[in-house]
Amino acid sequence: MAQGSIKKADLGKLIEAVRRDGRFFGPIDQGDGACLAEVTPDAVLKLDYANFTLPPKRMFFPRSEVIATHEASGMAAVPVQEGQVVLFGVRPCDALALTYLDKVFVDKQFTDPYYRSRRERTLVISLACREPAATCFCTSVHGAPDGRAGADILAVEVGEALVLESLTKAGEAFMTHHAKLFASPTPAQRTACDAQASEAAKKVSAVPIDGLKAKLSGCAENAGVWDDIAERCLACGVCTYLCPTCHCFGLYDEQVGQTMRRVRAQDACTFPTFTQEASGHNPRTRHGMRMRQRVMHKFCYATENFGDIFCVGCGRCVASCPAHLDIRETITEVSQ
Amino acid sequence: MAFLCNWCSYAGADLAGVSRLQYPTHVRVIRVPCSGRVNPLYIVKALQLGVDGVLVSGCHPGDCHYISGNLVARRKFALLKSFLEYVGIEPGRVQFSWVSASEGNRFADLIQKVSDDIRKLGPARQLKKEAR
Amino acid sequence: MRDVQDKLRATAKDLLASGKVELVLGFEPASLPMRTRACFARTADAAERLVWNEFCSQNLAAYLPRLFEKPAHIRGDWTPPKVAVVTKNCDARSIIGLVKEHQLARENVVIIGMPCQGMVDPEKAAATVDERIAQACLECVSPSPIGADILIEGQSRPAAADRFQRVKDFEALTPAQRWDAFVKEISKCTRCYACRQACPNCYCKSCFIEQSKPSWAGAGDDLADLLLFHIGRMFHQAGRCVECDACVRACPMGIDLRLFTQKLVKDVEELFGYVPGVSLDDLPPLCTFQSDDSECFVTGPGEE
Repeated sequence: MAQGSIKKADLGKLIEAVRRDGRFFGPIDQGDGACLAEVTPDAVLKLDYANFTLPPKRMFFPRSEVIATHEASGMAAVPVQEGQVVLFGVRPCDALALTYLDKVFVDKQFTDPYYRSRRERTLVISLACREPAATCFCTSVHGAPDGRAGADILAVEVGEALVLESLTKAGEAFMTHHAKLFASPTPAQRTACDAQASEAAKKVSAVPIDGLKAKLSGCAENAGVWDDIAERCLACGVCTYLCPTCHCFGLYDEQVGQTMRRVRAQDACTFPTFTQEASGHNPRTRHGMRMRQRVMHKFCYATENFGDIFCVGCGRCVASCPAHLDIRETITEVSQ
Repeated sequence: MAFLCNWCSYAGADLAGVSRLQYPTHVRVIRVPCSGRVNPLYIVKALQLGVDGVLVSGCHPGDCHYISGNLVARRKFALLKSFLEYVGIEPGRVQFSWVSASEGNRFADLIQKVSDDIRKLGPARQLKKEAR
Repeated sequence: MRDVQDKLRATAKDLLASGKVELVLGFEPASLPMRTRACFARTADAAERLVWNEFCSQNLAAYLPRLFEKPAHIRGDWTPPKVAVVTKNCDARSIIGLVKEHQLARENVVIIGMPCQGMVDPEKAAATVDERIAQACLECVSPSPIGADILIEGQSRPAAADRFQRVKDFEALTPAQRWDAFVKEISKCTRCYACRQACPNCYCKSCFIEQSKPSWAGAGDDLADLLLFHIGRMFHQAGRCVECDACVRACPMGIDLRLFTQKLVKDVEELFGYVPGVSLDDLPPLCTFQSDDSECFVTGPGEE
C-alpha cells in the first residue's frame, strides 16, 4: 500500500503527467454543477461538489454503444477500444457500485468484453466525501464517506492538500510511477482523514435495511403497497438512468445509411415497453408491478444472485425524481 | 425529397413530364393523398436519413380534394417551418408550396428553385444520423 | 399563505365528506425540505395532509389521464372516479386542454383554483424572496385562477407584461448560433423521458419515439435521435403547451427546454391568436383553419 500527499494546486502537474500517456477525467464545472469530463489543459477542476448528476458507470457502460456492424462484407463486432484512462473524483458510493457492476458484467460464465476492457484500462481515484448531501444514505447500504471498495486509489481532501492511499496493485503502480509528485503524508494529515470521515458519516441519513429482504420476499405483486407508492410515480426513467448500479439493457438493430448496426442501449424497468412482448402482451399490466420490480431487483434479487444489495445510497434517484419520490421512504413503507 | 399530393401537385408533376419540361432530376417524389397527410415527423425523419432538402406541395388553398386538408396543413407547416428555422435548421432546407394539376410550368420552376436553394446550402448534415 | 392552506383543507374535507368527489389530488410535504409531492387524499382525514406553499410547483394534471383510464384488470362496467384537483392557473389550463382533447370528462373533475404567488425555483432557493421565483412564474401572464369550479381566495402575483423576451433575443441570433445553442442543450439529454412523463399534455398511450413498426429513431443516445425526439415532442405540444414548465423542472440534466417550447407558444399566439387551455369552446389551433391564415412561409417558384 502506497501513500502520498499532493497540494491541490499541484494537481495540474499530475494531470499533465497522466495526459502524456492517457486520458484524465475529473470534476469540471460545465455550467450546471460538476460533471465528470475529460480534463484539458485549460480546464479548472471543481472539488466542492456533492456528486455528479450522471453516475460514473457511463464511463464503463455507456447509455448506448454500437457493438456490431453489418456491411456488404458481413457482420463484424466492433473492436474494444484501447488506451489508459484515469478517473479522478469518483465518490466512494459510485466506486462501490462498480464492484456490483463487475459481478454482472465480468461473471465467471459470461464476460462483457467492452465493460471488462474499460474496467481494466481505467484507474479509479475516488474522492472521500466531506459534506454529504441531504439525499445520501451510503452508510445504511454497506458504504461510507471514505469507502474503499471499487477504487484503485482513495483521495481525501485535507486542507489545501490531497492525501492519497492506494488500494489495489494498479493504484500502487500509479503512485510509484508518479512518486516524485507526492510527498509523504504527515501523521496530522492521516488523523484528519479519519476524523473527517467519521464526521461526514454522522451527517448521512439512515435507512432501516435489516431484514428488508425477508419482508420483500413476502411482499407479493398484488400487495396494495406497490400501487400506493406507484400512484405518485410519473413513470419516467430518471431513477434508472441516474442509478450507478442499474444495468438492464436492450439490443437494437438499426440501419444507418448503408450500414446495419447493433446497438446496446440501457433500458429502464419503469417503462411499460420494458416487458412488452412482440405480440403486444405485457405481463406487467400496472405501474405498481414495475415499481416493485425495481425495488425487488435492487434489494432482493441482487442479494440472491450476487450476495449484495444493488443500491449504494448515492441519493441520485431521490434528488432528481420529478415526482419527489424517495427510495428511503419506499423501503420504510414496504418493510412495515 | 418531395411529398406531393395525389390530386394537384402530383398531377402537376405529371403534366410537367408529358409536356417535356426540363427540371432538375435529383428530386425523389413521394405521392401522398393530401398535403394534410404529411406528418411533420416525415420531414424531420427524411433529414435524419440524409436527404438534403424536403419539399411539400399540395393543392392551392381552397382547391383541396378533401375540402380543407391543405388548409389545416398550412397551419401545421407554418409552425413547423418557423420552429425548424428557430432551432437553427438552415432556412431553405424545408420548403412548402402549392401546385395545381394544370401548373406543369410552375412545378418545373418550383423544382428548379428549390433545387437551386438546396444546392447553395450544400449537403445537409444537421439532423443526419451518421454511421461513424 | 397559511389561511389559504386552511381554506383549502376545509374545502377538500367538505368535498370528500359530502361524497362529491372520491379523491382530492393536492400537495403534501415531500421527504426533503422545500419540496412537495402529490397527495392522493381519499378520506377527510387524509385531507389534513394537504399543504399549500411556494413549493407546490408540480403540475398535477399529469396524473389525471391515468386516473380516468379503465384499469386493465377490470372487466365489465367501470365508472370513472370524480376527482378534485388543487391547481395553479397553469395546471387548470392543462386540465382544460385534456378535456378538450377528450382525455377526461369535464364533469368528472372539480378544479380547485389556488391564488398563485409564483413558485420557488429550487436552484435559486437560497436567493432573496423576489429573486427565487422560477423563471416560468416570473413570465406568467395569468397567475390568477380563472375558470375554476371552486376558488380559494387569496392574493395572486401580478401578471407579467412581456414573456417572450428570451425568445426574441434568440430569434435575433444567426441560424448557426441558434443551431449550436440547440445542439448544446439537447446533447445533455440522457433520454429518461422525464420531460414527457411530467408533461400533462403528453398523454399519448404510445409515444412516437417508442413505436417500432417502423421506428422513428434508434434506442440510444445518438445525437441525431435525441434531436428527432425533442423536435418531435416539442412540436407535438404546439397549441397544447401552457408554459407550466413541468418539463424543465423534471429534467435531471437541466436542459433549457423552455427556450424552445416558448417559441411554439409565441407562434401559435401570433399566427392563430390561440391561447391553450383558456376556453373549452374554441377548437385546438391545428384542428381548424381560417381562410386567411398566413401564407408567408410558402415558396413561390417565381420569387427570389
